[in-house]
Amino acid sequence: MPPFTSETSHRTAPAAAGLPRRSLLTTAAAIGGALGGSALLSGCSGAASASPTRAVPTRGPAGRPDRGGTLRIARPPASDAETLDPASALSAYEYLGALYNRLVRMGPDGTVAPDLAESWEPDAKATTWTFRLRRGVTFHDGRAFTSADAAYTLRHILDTATASPQAPVLSPLVDPKRLRTPDAHTLVVPLKSPHAEFPSLLTHYNCYVVPDGSARSIGRTGIGTGPFRLTSFAAAGPGRVTAYPDHWAGRPVLDAIDFYSVADMQARSGALLAGQVDLLSQTNLDFATARVIAASDRATIARAENAQWYVLPMLTTEKPFTDVRVRQAMKLAYDPEHILKAALQGAGTAGWDNPVPPNDPAHTAAHPAHDPEKARHLLKKAGYERLAVDLYTSSYDPIFTPMALAYQESAGRAGIRIRVKTAAADSYYTQIWMKKPLMATYWYTGRPVDQLLNQVFRGGSSYNETAWADKEFDALLDRARRETDTGRRRELYGQAQTLVIERGGAITPMFADRLVGISRKVRGYAEHGFEFDYLRIGLKGA
Amino acid sequence: MLTFLVRRVVSALGTLLLSSVLVFLAVQALPGDVATQVLGRDATPDAVAALRKQMGLDQPGWERYGHWINGALHGDFGTSLVTTKPVGGEVAQYLGNSALIAVVTILFAVTGSLVLGIVAGLYRDRWPDHLISTVSLIGMSVPEFVVATVLVLAFSVTVPVLPAVVLYGPGASTGQLLPAVWLPAASLAIVMAAYIVRMARTSVIDVMAGEYVTTARLKGLSTWRVVTRHALPSALLPTLHVIALNVAWLVGGVAVVENVFNYPGIGKLMLSSVQNRDLPVIQAIALISAVVYVVCNLAADLGSMALNPKLRTRGGRIR
Repeated sequence: MPPFTSETSHRTAPAAAGLPRRSLLTTAAAIGGALGGSALLSGCSGAASASPTRAVPTRGPAGRPDRGGTLRIARPPASDAETLDPASALSAYEYLGALYNRLVRMGPDGTVAPDLAESWEPDAKATTWTFRLRRGVTFHDGRAFTSADAAYTLRHILDTATASPQAPVLSPLVDPKRLRTPDAHTLVVPLKSPHAEFPSLLTHYNCYVVPDGSARSIGRTGIGTGPFRLTSFAAAGPGRVTAYPDHWAGRPVLDAIDFYSVADMQARSGALLAGQVDLLSQTNLDFATARVIAASDRATIARAENAQWYVLPMLTTEKPFTDVRVRQAMKLAYDPEHILKAALQGAGTAGWDNPVPPNDPAHTAAHPAHDPEKARHLLKKAGYERLAVDLYTSSYDPIFTPMALAYQESAGRAGIRIRVKTAAADSYYTQIWMKKPLMATYWYTGRPVDQLLNQVFRGGSSYNETAWADKEFDALLDRARRETDTGRRRELYGQAQTLVIERGGAITPMFADRLVGISRKVRGYAEHGFEFDYLRIGLKGA
Repeated sequence: MLTFLVRRVVSALGTLLLSSVLVFLAVQALPGDVATQVLGRDATPDAVAALRKQMGLDQPGWERYGHWINGALHGDFGTSLVTTKPVGGEVAQYLGNSALIAVVTILFAVTGSLVLGIVAGLYRDRWPDHLISTVSLIGMSVPEFVVATVLVLAFSVTVPVLPAVVLYGPGASTGQLLPAVWLPAASLAIVMAAYIVRMARTSVIDVMAGEYVTTARLKGLSTWRVVTRHALPSALLPTLHVIALNVAWLVGGVAVVENVFNYPGIGKLMLSSVQNRDLPVIQAIALISAVVYVVCNLAADLGSMALNPKLRTRGGRIR
């Protein structure tokens, strides 16, 4: 993490006489900027970069929450066809962690932590995994949670009718017919091939445990074992969950959470500023808006550290990126620290073309240094001395265009001419992503290292956005999966990362903190990857 | 009179059919279809194929259009591809919410701007005229979403008396929506008012310079009577068409403003269904917009006839 000023807010006491004029004006400028599209917006953040992180706090309000109260969360709806079925591609993400538990979850240190499974162990070759399940857990309808529910959840994910995004990850490993439940609190998962990191694949948010036989109803009922139970839910509309007093880990701090779906990001910020909601979920605020929110009396900014990683994927099947020397040159040519400063105002960590987040225990820190001269040399050897390429961006995310422009500037010093082209936001992921040779995109961090490398970088994977296929890399991943010694396995994943850095098509300039708009009353906000602490979050003066 | 009506209705139906074809083709021409749009980045080939089959997208486009137009003629607008609910009921619900905004907007914009326009016309080149003209010109030049943002800043953030966004879904009751109606309606009214004020002012100035007004004055009638009895009906005539066009414009303006306020109306439904490529819903909304345009213009024409004796006596000829 870059050094931030330690103060949580530049204004500790609320202004005595209403909203000061200055903050009113900046609100107008920010909202105007947000409306004016990406060009105006990047202009705003560029102009404000003189005082990088001073106005935007590094963490939310400290202290303990009071018991009770209702938290109001504004969220972007997944689609008008949202469902509470966790396995679905259209699941209403924010509800899942409140309503359900998984067998295992991802700890803040990047290791697998217990949830409904208390412990798990492989056999000697890591081909069969045995999960010991927690006792005394009940679903919201009063039924006891048993291994039958755990097995059913896996079968439900693997069912082709569910079309779960996690199915392609699990189906090469798990045969739904071979799952065994020797007793009510043991689940045995025989794998088709050895996999020493298998439990980490069950930390995904599609893997929340649902009751046995609930496929048809779970999308509406939301019956899980989580800290909250469903009171109401409307697809792309409002909904409410209330504390489940019999939750196995104890009662949550809050009495209830109201979820409101607000599609427009500006409307979400407006609701927070007006005190209509307390938290903006899945919303990475742009710097101008974040600064306005931090300056208001009602709300401030918290951060989800390194919540997303930004990429400029080069399609390795398209010229000139078919040549590994060009890919290397494109990476050596730019300075990630420059992009981090220019596009993110330092709110994140330089990526150095490695997509594995720094907190992952398998992360390798080694990388080639920024070397524009070597980039020039490589391009000359590859016959692309005066390389000029189009880089597509859109207003889909506020960082895309600043990142593209910063890359353009940085790579320009190595003699690479980048033409930044803006595409429509609403069809960006159907028309540009994985179709144009070079574009700007991002991923949420939270995927465990095995899933990340296999899903995004393995040859033939449907999420492989660079279409990179490297036999040595794929073989390394296979070897890592078979390696039961944790230290040696991490080493293998480290070597795989080195191959991604040296040969792959992904330019990964940085990991970005998500700037989360949050009410000044909220206490105990904690979020990392796909984990949100619904149990401990609460309100001061609730 | 009757032939005029029949002619207008027939051409209106033609307009509606043509617009439905155009909208269908336009949506087909948009990149991506409902399956890829809904799935977004999870649009793996398997998932897309499964969803397409589920939604009946594996049939050719013209067949789906034929199916739709056949249903529409029988009053069935099909089911939404995304929510699988009947389109008719869904659109009606959102339309009802928008109607709330529209009614308030029209009431305020039309009465308010007519009064202002007339005042400006009567006090031509004096300070009330300068004030009204300047303010309305500013209102005209600022886009509705900027007006909306400034209003939110003033009445939701600085002095929190009205909600900044609507947090309810489309099923909200009128009572729940009522507090949230004022800011969207005000933003639309401010932008809309400018045109009507300008038009009303011009017509009043024109009419007041007319010979018959001078005659009326010479007869010794009071200014009030001259204005209400003689000048106004003639001054309203050209203004009516501007009002009609503006009411029709509301359908589009509402889309922008509703999204700023997260208001569960037809504009928000339109944006999300275009983003989702949800054809049956887009078609239904397009049809409604076309109906609004046609009806507004028809009403304006009939209104002009009622106000202008010349048009009535000449057997329905209209300039």
